[in-house]
Amino acid sequence: MDKKTVTTISYLSRLMIDKEKEEKIVQDLDNIIEFVDQLNDADTSDVEPLTNPLEKTAKTRSDQITAKNLKKELLEIAPSSNDDYFLVPRVVE
Amino acid sequence: MSWETVIGLEIHVQLSTKSKLFSGGSTEFGAESNTHVDLVDMGLPGVLPVANKEAFYKAIRFGLATGAEINQESSFDRKNYFYPDLPKGYQITQMTKPIVEKGSIKIATDESERVINITRAHLEEDAGKSIHDLFEGKTGVDLNRAGTPLLEIVSEPEISNAKEAVAYFKAIRQLVIFLDICDGNMAQGSMRCDVNVSVRKSGNKDLGTRAELKNINSFKFIEKAINYEIDRQIRVIESGESVVQETRLYDSEKNETRSMRSKEEANDYRYFPCPDLLPVVISDKELKDIKDNLPELPEEKRKRYIKEIGLEESEAKIISSSKTMANMFEDASSKTNDAKLVAKWLVGDISALLNKDNIDIEESNLTSENFGKLIERISDNTISGKIAKSVLEDAWENGTDVDEIIKTKGLVQIQDESILEEIAMKIVESNPSQVAAYKSGKDKLFGFFVGQVMKETQGKANPKSVNEILKKLLK
Repeated sequence: MDKKTVTTISYLSRLMIDKEKEEKIVQDLDNIIEFVDQLNDADTSDVEPLTNPLEKTAKTRSDQITAKNLKKELLEIAPSSNDDYFLVPRVVE
Repeated sequence: MSWETVIGLEIHVQLSTKSKLFSGGSTEFGAESNTHVDLVDMGLPGVLPVANKEAFYKAIRFGLATGAEINQESSFDRKNYFYPDLPKGYQITQMTKPIVEKGSIKIATDESERVINITRAHLEEDAGKSIHDLFEGKTGVDLNRAGTPLLEIVSEPEISNAKEAVAYFKAIRQLVIFLDICDGNMAQGSMRCDVNVSVRKSGNKDLGTRAELKNINSFKFIEKAINYEIDRQIRVIESGESVVQETRLYDSEKNETRSMRSKEEANDYRYFPCPDLLPVVISDKELKDIKDNLPELPEEKRKRYIKEIGLEESEAKIISSSKTMANMFEDASSKTNDAKLVAKWLVGDISALLNKDNIDIEESNLTSENFGKLIERISDNTISGKIAKSVLEDAWENGTDVDEIIKTKGLVQIQDESILEEIAMKIVESNPSQVAAYKSGKDKLFGFFVGQVMKETQGKANPKSVNEILKKLLK
């Protein structure tokens, strides 16, 4: 782990990190990774990769429309909206 | 220096389910903005996605039809990125265990036929739509489309030119329409495609650096965008520089591709298994049911048309290549009991009109019902084949009912032989020198008399009757 990785990940995650905390975060993350890395010592050559700890499979839905029209309510709780759309600062390609 | 092109396609197919992949929101196209948004589509805190089984069934149909492996246990992952029309900040997709792997499809261009391998086809949710040009300084977001099920079909990088890429896209489109898993509507965005293009010197084993072209939504643009990009990459390399791996946007107005720098940094999606969703398992019985109920596919239709109906190989190929055309063929054949006549019209006049207008049969004004009527009227001798051509043109241009055209234009074929005899007699009497020449052995003149009778009757005479009558008269 280094500063550059931390700034890249914080940018990708849209998490702001104070400049003066960067050093400490690098240190903390290193510790966490080192701790988790112990798992690599276990021999897993005969073990199927685990996609989920519940060892269950999913319940599924049949193809039915159950949603109500919540346009008004949903637009109201947005930080910014007009009568028809959620509004965000202009995104231009 | 000769160059080789390597192309791979990622086609996003919108599956025609009623509800979304993980919520009971409607997938209807063109609804009022933000009216089909469920709490799950919004990604509000505390909601849990539940997978729509029908989306799996449709994906499996595609897998079976392409001879692929079906993963009866498949799972979901999160693809993380930020964009306003992606409410959760991640897209649920299948990265590690897709539902479909290792299929293939046959494609045909003017030059050749070949098989293109399909790496994988996985389920994922669509994003919403951003509207950039409606509001001053703001982007509007409509989440109706958010959560709509997509099947992303990834080809192997083994397509070698723009024409093949188009043929592959068309083959996939017809297949998903045949399978009834997608409406194939390009204008509504039901099928969209990203193209990976790279070039290398002929004979080189290693792949060149590729560029990914986005935002391509028509057959014409696929071809143009690829050809532009191939030229661009060759120019770059020949000028001593190297191609940069990047995402490029195709601009159809300027016919060029340009770099989307904004996408570069975001190119780390940090996939991980979606903790909200357990693996979905398809039972042996479910799989068997889907297999047993698979509709007849283009290849099977083609074989049946040749073997059971006796069509020519070339006819069977054209008719079976589109579901709409195959349906028109089968409907009209069962009405008239004259499949060969139906085939002749589809492959002849109808195909010629399609080529002339450069459209697909689905886009034409001619309905299957109206086409069936046209064939019926030919086969019951109401109109002659020649008149039928002009009726077809009218129906083609204006979508007018065939019977209506025949009635209002008075095109019904003259069945009364006495009327035809009278006309034929008049023609024979007023052309004594031609009669003399014919009788002295100029057999070819027979056509002249037939032509005159047809002209007199404005094409409404039954040519067979005219032939018989003239033969008698000129004996």
